[in-house]
Amino acid sequence: MDVQLKRGLLDVCVLAAIKSEDSYGYKIIKDMKPYIELSESTLYTILKRLENAGMLTVRSAEHDGRLRKYYHITKKGARRLEEFKDEWKEVVSIYQFVMKENHHE
Amino acid sequence: MNKQEFLLDLRNALSGLPQDDIEERIAFYGEIIDDCMEEGASEEEAVAGIGSVNDIRRQIVADIPFPKLVKEKVRTKRRLRAWEIVLMVLGFPVWFPLIIAACAIVLSLYIVILALIISLWSIEISLWAGILGGIAIATVYLVQSAAMPALMALGAALFIAGFSGFMFFGCVAASKGILKLTKKAGVGIKSMVIGRKNAK
Repeated sequence: MDVQLKRGLLDVCVLAAIKSEDSYGYKIIKDMKPYIELSESTLYTILKRLENAGMLTVRSAEHDGRLRKYYHITKKGARRLEEFKDEWKEVVSIYQFVMKENHHE
Repeated sequence: MNKQEFLLDLRNALSGLPQDDIEERIAFYGEIIDDCMEEGASEEEAVAGIGSVNDIRRQIVADIPFPKLVKEKVRTKRRLRAWEIVLMVLGFPVWFPLIIAACAIVLSLYIVILALIISLWSIEISLWAGILGGIAIATVYLVQSAAMPALMALGAALFIAGFSGFMFFGCVAASKGILKLTKKAGVGIKSMVIGRKNAK
């Protein structure tokens, strides 16, 4: 898949993974696994990018005697997710046009 | 490999990167290994799931913007002593031209490569011109009802067309190859800046 496109899609995936409740690295990968394989290094890069873009915030909380980083979606991140849903309708209709067997009727 | 060994390996492999970056990544991978073990995986399995230290390093180096790398390299060096500064100032006539020369060499390499590509494409374009020319000449001969020369010109045009088609693929492949090479060279230069000490 086109790198730019995939990057954008993965960003949205990670935002979706932390949308309903704050999540942490391992859980994000595990939640996404049935749909898309994500390496730890890739996730790190995405989280960093989203944090710099103000789409999520990070907090450290104690868990089982150690620190764990939890990622929380911001308003901006939630807005991005909504935007994506709208954009996707457009993509789907483009896809339908591309897949249509006969373009001249 | 257990978690401790893995993180130590990773730290060594990343030395030369921005310090806060290293700490953050070590914590990130450590946390994932811990969480994976909490789910019931053995320490070995959890570490194996992360992948090789070298792969991680390669990806990280490709991700960090070049200016940040250079800045970090310059900053991690200790403070300069007074005599070193004096030496640098006195040595200016020596090292400054050397740096300029090095930059010029790199630049000229780029220009040579670019010139190669441009010349390839210009041959291709001139071949296209040749096709058009051949067809034009053939038309002129035809108008003058000289069938044989017209056929010859048309044949020549056809020959050039075949050759240019062949060459077109070569041009595209060469351009793509150079682009890829340039990208690789970028990562290579980054690696040189960080230094490969301790990296296996």
